[in-house]
Amino acid sequence: MVRPHRPPLARTIRRGLVLALVAILILIVLFPFYWLVQMSFKTEREAFQMPPQIVFVPTLQNYVSVLQGKFVRALGNSAITATTTTVLSLLLGVPAAYALSRARFGSDWAISLWMLATRMAPPIAFGIPFFLIYKNLELIDTLHGLIIIYLTFNLSLVIWTMRTFFDGLPVSLEEAAYIDGAGVFETFLRVTLPLSTPGLATTAIFCFLLSWNDFFYSLILARSDALTAPVAIVNFMNYESWEYGKISAGGTLIMLPVVVFSLAVKKYLVSGLTAGAIKG
Amino acid sequence: MAPRTTTKPISRRRLLRGALALGGLGLLSACAPAAPPAGKPSEGKPAAQAPAKTGQAYAGTSLKMMMVGHAYGQGLTEKLPELEQKTGIKVEIDQLAFPVLNQRADLELSSGSGAYDVLQLIFIRSGRWITAGWAEPLNTFIDDANLTDKGELALDDFLAGAMAPFKRGDTIYALPWLADSTVVGYRTDIYEKAGFAKFPETYGALQEAAAKIHSPETAAFVTSDNLHWIWPNWLISHGGSFFANPPDDLRPTFDTPEAIQAAEMFGTLVSKYAPPGSPKIDTGLAQTSMHQGKAASYLDGLGNTQQIINTEKTQLADKMAFTNTPSGPKGHFPQLAVHGFMINKASKKKQAAWELVKWAAGKDTMLWNALNQGHLAGTRASMLNNPEVKQKFTWRGSDLPMLHQSVMERAGSGYMAYRTVPQFPPIGDRVIIALQTIASGQATPADAMKALQKDAESMLEKEGVKIR
Repeated sequence: MVRPHRPPLARTIRRGLVLALVAILILIVLFPFYWLVQMSFKTEREAFQMPPQIVFVPTLQNYVSVLQGKFVRALGNSAITATTTTVLSLLLGVPAAYALSRARFGSDWAISLWMLATRMAPPIAFGIPFFLIYKNLELIDTLHGLIIIYLTFNLSLVIWTMRTFFDGLPVSLEEAAYIDGAGVFETFLRVTLPLSTPGLATTAIFCFLLSWNDFFYSLILARSDALTAPVAIVNFMNYESWEYGKISAGGTLIMLPVVVFSLAVKKYLVSGLTAGAIKG
Repeated sequence: MAPRTTTKPISRRRLLRGALALGGLGLLSACAPAAPPAGKPSEGKPAAQAPAKTGQAYAGTSLKMMMVGHAYGQGLTEKLPELEQKTGIKVEIDQLAFPVLNQRADLELSSGSGAYDVLQLIFIRSGRWITAGWAEPLNTFIDDANLTDKGELALDDFLAGAMAPFKRGDTIYALPWLADSTVVGYRTDIYEKAGFAKFPETYGALQEAAAKIHSPETAAFVTSDNLHWIWPNWLISHGGSFFANPPDDLRPTFDTPEAIQAAEMFGTLVSKYAPPGSPKIDTGLAQTSMHQGKAASYLDGLGNTQQIINTEKTQLADKMAFTNTPSGPKGHFPQLAVHGFMINKASKKKQAAWELVKWAAGKDTMLWNALNQGHLAGTRASMLNNPEVKQKFTWRGSDLPMLHQSVMERAGSGYMAYRTVPQFPPIGDRVIIALQTIASGQATPADAMKALQKDAESMLEKEGVKIR
């Protein structure tokens, strides 16, 4: 009779310890999110009660207050600017990345490097020049003004990420398409892009996050019409007291679309992040 | 044998052409002209200014105003239909967090943008903004009988300490609406239990009381992290100052024995007898410490301190009381921060803006805000002496209106002048660093203040101030 194989005790213990460690790490990472969300459903008095109430009667009052004010518009502005920037960054950046990956000319690396110029200095270094230029072009407090700014730093991200991705794709697949009579466009659209879906998803998420979470440029270049959510939420810090309930409800609302979007493309995100990891 | 295939070369031109074509499509949509949002005033294009003083004389005029997020601003927003009905002016008020306001207002004004017609004249920036010519002098409007009913405006109703920062000689640059006076809110039960019938009247006595009261559960004292606003209560009361004789003599005086002693006392209080994290606890957390019973006393501006009895946030309100800040060896020098409404020099609608300023800092508006928005930190004597206000804001024997008025009258003597010199903001930031260094034990008070002195001299010299 064959005895069933049982893992040695040491291995079981080690596995248990690793799982416990992972669980602890997950708790540590997720705790601030839990705290934020639960606070958004509490009254001001309950929010900082010690010991904290784990079980409480939730209230939607904070959400009602937030959704009745200007915050909804700011949230809409964030959605428009982040989505448009992401789409435009991919439309402009992916072909550029492809061109830089496939073309053979001496200065391709120099061009790639210069595309990073917008990220070589902290945003504050560009703040005043952008403000003055925008003031003269009457782009201050406009959504398209913000979108253009976000494009400047998102494009470099797209180009650098996607170029690396395209470099990892075998050229022979494209060559096969050429043999079958496909042109550059057709090859790019029908062969290269479908193979790049994980990379595109990853890049799209990072583009979206960079624009969605931007605080600095919205602070400098938007007043009230184009104000985005990250700045609007700060304005719940009143001079005489802070509205923690609204801040936490606003924070939860800001977080929600990103979580949903990330979960929706989770499959692509994982493969996108690991693509090329074992490439020799 | 398999046929030999030839790889179709991708020419650089073909690739770039393709990339450009795709990119161009995106760019076109990005640059497509966006329709201006409804109701947005057109920058640089003044609305027609109709003669004043007739009903709805400014019909069709829209103004933008920038101020800090505050109950007063919420009250103004609620009452805007009243102004619109009276004058025809439509107003959009942007209420921003204080750090955001500081940054944005500076940027708008320094770039000559007329996007905002009326702005909050921030106390510590008033010197810089007025000197730079960014605030429109109001006397032209005040003295014009067609624009101003002086009886209704009642300039004398503004308390001296509130008006002083916005006057240069006889010229007025703003009308004050907020005067934050430093007061103390404290737990009477805790102090009584420790044997103190009332709150200590000197900083020395406060330190002794703190040593007796302080426990791991309840800190004896808490304050906010705006240390260049809190510490001067100690500094000036001990005979110290920021500058030798502001605004005429701006030699810094941080390394004097008085300043070092004030820094040492303050540093000890916030490091030994305040909640963990002090002195980097922000206003919200300082208030929360009081709400949750984790601190026994709170020194800050009236508007902030008043929040400790907000019954929506605490069950301890009926154990709190308010009193004056303590005195030092040289006397009692509570701090006062005043904020006003000013007209942007670059505004194209100054007459209409004056209507807004008059209304926003008017007697009726301020009284309404006190009674309906809980805004006690006002600037008019008529509001503070109103019987309804007195009744509403007297809490367990603490007459808050009187407390506030006494600080404003006292600050009118001129000791707050250090705060409105144009060079104050960066020096103030450096003071915060020095005090944090002392509280965290990284440097002795003497060393920290000497380093502060050296840096302040260097900063002022760069600003063109003659130090030696």
